[in-house]
Amino acid sequence: MLRLWPLARNCKATKALASLARCSSTGAPAKVEVFVDDKPVQVEPGTTILQACAEAGVEIPRFCYHERLSIAGNCRMCLVEVEKSPKPIASCAMPVMKGMKIKTDSEMTRKAREGVMEFLLMNHPLDCPICDQGGECDLQDQSMAFGSDRSRFTDMEHGGKRAVEDKNIGPLIKTIMTRCIHCTRCIRFASEVAGVDDLGTTGRGGDMQVGTYVEKMFKSELSGNIIDLCPVGALTAKPSAFTARPWETRRIDSVDVMDALGSNIVVNTRTNEVLRILPRTNDAVNEEWISDATRFAYDGLKRQRLTAPFVRNAAGQLEQTDWETALVKVAQKLVQVPGEKVAGVAGGLVDAEALVALKDYLNKLGSEALCTEEIFPMDGAGTDLRSNYLLNTGIQGVERADLILLVGTNPRFEAPLFNARIRKSWINNELTVAVVGTRVDLTYDYDHLGDSTKILADIAAGKHPFAQTLGKAKNPMVVVGSAALQRKDGAAIHRAVATMAQNARVQSGCGDDWKVLNVLHRVASQVAALDLGYKAGVEYIRNNPPSVLYMLGADEGALTRDQLPKDCFVIYQGHHGDRGAAMADVILPGAAYTEKDATYVNTEGRAQYTKTAVTPPMLAREDWKIIRALSEMTGNALPYDRIQDVRDRLYDVSPNLVQYGAAEDANYFKQAQELAAGISGKLEEKPLTPSLLNLKDFYMTNSIGRASQTMAKCVKAVQEMP
Amino acid sequence: MAASKAVQGLKHAKPILSVDRNDARRRVLNLYKAWYRQIPVICNEYHINKRPKDLNRYLRQQFDKNRNVKDLRVIDILVIKSLQDLHETKNWWKMANHVLYPLQESVNPKPTGFLSKFLEGHDP
Repeated sequence: MLRLWPLARNCKATKALASLARCSSTGAPAKVEVFVDDKPVQVEPGTTILQACAEAGVEIPRFCYHERLSIAGNCRMCLVEVEKSPKPIASCAMPVMKGMKIKTDSEMTRKAREGVMEFLLMNHPLDCPICDQGGECDLQDQSMAFGSDRSRFTDMEHGGKRAVEDKNIGPLIKTIMTRCIHCTRCIRFASEVAGVDDLGTTGRGGDMQVGTYVEKMFKSELSGNIIDLCPVGALTAKPSAFTARPWETRRIDSVDVMDALGSNIVVNTRTNEVLRILPRTNDAVNEEWISDATRFAYDGLKRQRLTAPFVRNAAGQLEQTDWETALVKVAQKLVQVPGEKVAGVAGGLVDAEALVALKDYLNKLGSEALCTEEIFPMDGAGTDLRSNYLLNTGIQGVERADLILLVGTNPRFEAPLFNARIRKSWINNELTVAVVGTRVDLTYDYDHLGDSTKILADIAAGKHPFAQTLGKAKNPMVVVGSAALQRKDGAAIHRAVATMAQNARVQSGCGDDWKVLNVLHRVASQVAALDLGYKAGVEYIRNNPPSVLYMLGADEGALTRDQLPKDCFVIYQGHHGDRGAAMADVILPGAAYTEKDATYVNTEGRAQYTKTAVTPPMLAREDWKIIRALSEMTGNALPYDRIQDVRDRLYDVSPNLVQYGAAEDANYFKQAQELAAGISGKLEEKPLTPSLLNLKDFYMTNSIGRASQTMAKCVKAVQEMP
Repeated sequence: MAASKAVQGLKHAKPILSVDRNDARRRVLNLYKAWYRQIPVICNEYHINKRPKDLNRYLRQQFDKNRNVKDLRVIDILVIKSLQDLHETKNWWKMANHVLYPLQESVNPKPTGFLSKFLEGHDP
């Protein structure tokens, strides 16, 4: 088994050595000068030749080297000539030395690359025409650039090329192992980033094989990333196999909505159809990874879609109609009832534009009953202070933290990339993790403090030994999952967590810049909804039964028919025929996140926008436009006609909603703490259990996931495959 | 001084076809008659499901549209273009829809208000 990455736990010794070395010299030189093709560059000591060349603007061809993975140095493609060295040197693994003269385009370098390429191609099948990687294959590109122009591979004995049996590692990744060039990127990703040591190599030399030893599924929530990492076509996406060539697709930058992190994605489309979803690099959010739900749930956008308005007829059946009929029907109902008897509830996939349109409209009608499906405690400062409901430290902040306490959350499935950050920090920065809640596999070691709420109270009161640890940490983080705050005692949990965070903040002396309290949300719309002033949770609607209920993408079943009055008129607006649509009297078909220009605010308060990649199917329309049209029907038209006008309105309500790319932070912890003193709720005995415990729970968390065949296959495979 | 300069700027335009108003008028009337005579034939040959009377009205409208044109050269150009058009129609260099296109009967007006745009389609 390959164990290539430096074990962080052992690196204390190296650090000590480094500091010794520094003491003995007369101040370490800040930079080292090297010459890349006779061009002088100043680089940090310890950088590799490959990185120094990149700094000089010379890109060295490589297969196994990857910035975010450990260095393996086994593909040999990055060989370069270094003066006074008899042999070419693998530049990805060689640190620079003072005055090194690197020749990236010399005869020896070119010869070396050509030789490596010849060896690689000798055992690589010539099946580019039927290979899904064709067009974006590193081997293809580099053989054109650096390979020989003719082949010496004659196969006189008809022995054929090396052939390797394909492996079945689940419904997401297709393996054609004959194409593998043994770069081991997938293995390193699995063991370093995903934290699932399933992949490895067997055999040596020509018999080396990458695989899972015994046939089993690669059970990771980040498994799809090895498809992007594979430089050749050995690992390709099973759901989008043989659908399109990369040069045929249009690529539209967008943002993911499957969890609350807002991973940056590129939507690949052709003929008005989403063909695949790839990650887009954003170091502040998702680095360059995305979760499997983000990558593969797109086929849910083509199934179970609402493509036309529906109205329930006299027989109680939903009947397809046109927009005019449906809007008139809704408008008639809305003008009949008094404004305060209208209520709205927003689901987890709704964009900020639709949220503000619905809020403005219902406010105009005279209603204040606007709720989100996700519950958040409203006691004390509640959602009035942003610092109460944001992931205040930020996703990138994890890399500066030295202690994280996770309360009632399973970040591995609630926010896979946040968990990957914690793991990265755990490996590289000696981050300590502690957990209060059910014991789950987080891919890294942690101190399990227990799953009782009493522990929270003890830590908050300073009675628990962990309180001291928390106080001593330099940059502590306390992360509470939104699921924990949805319990009856959510307010008390929030207060306990906020208290311990505030105590830690004072005791650790981390200063005003460092924030300790973090809330990890699970749905994409929640922060925008709370920023806009929605009430969290549908309690208000239960207490004030409405005559008309407007459900904006509310599919999680927070409100059911029997919780509403018998004659309550239910309007559902959304993109999938899910739970919400089933109980509606009128259905207005909306657009999914790939089909509209929309704003989403992630759990750290970062506003990002999606762009229209495909048009909404058939009669479906952009969500804010539906509400705008309806408002005109009832005679109190909303004052915006264009998306720019809606965004101006968003700016008026809360400027951070349209400051795209920036995470607007909040800093009223002390005030929130004072207001929270009045909360009287008591902690319950029930253990703190996150909602997503196992991998099978991860795939179907919203209406898109539930409509996706690929996700259904994943659930099945996780349960059935070893 | 200034007046003489202005006069200098005025040059006598070279006539295209017509030398005076009467000449131009004669050409316009001839053109009108030619179209008028051709209309029943057009209806017949192109299988246009309209009465010649209606097309006559349309013809009249088109001529009335330009009744305020006084410049002889402009009138001549209009006449030449229309003659070309007539020529093309006569010679079957068109199809029925080309003949009918100027009538703009099948073209719906673009929606203007938000609601009519919304009901019309995705992004009109």
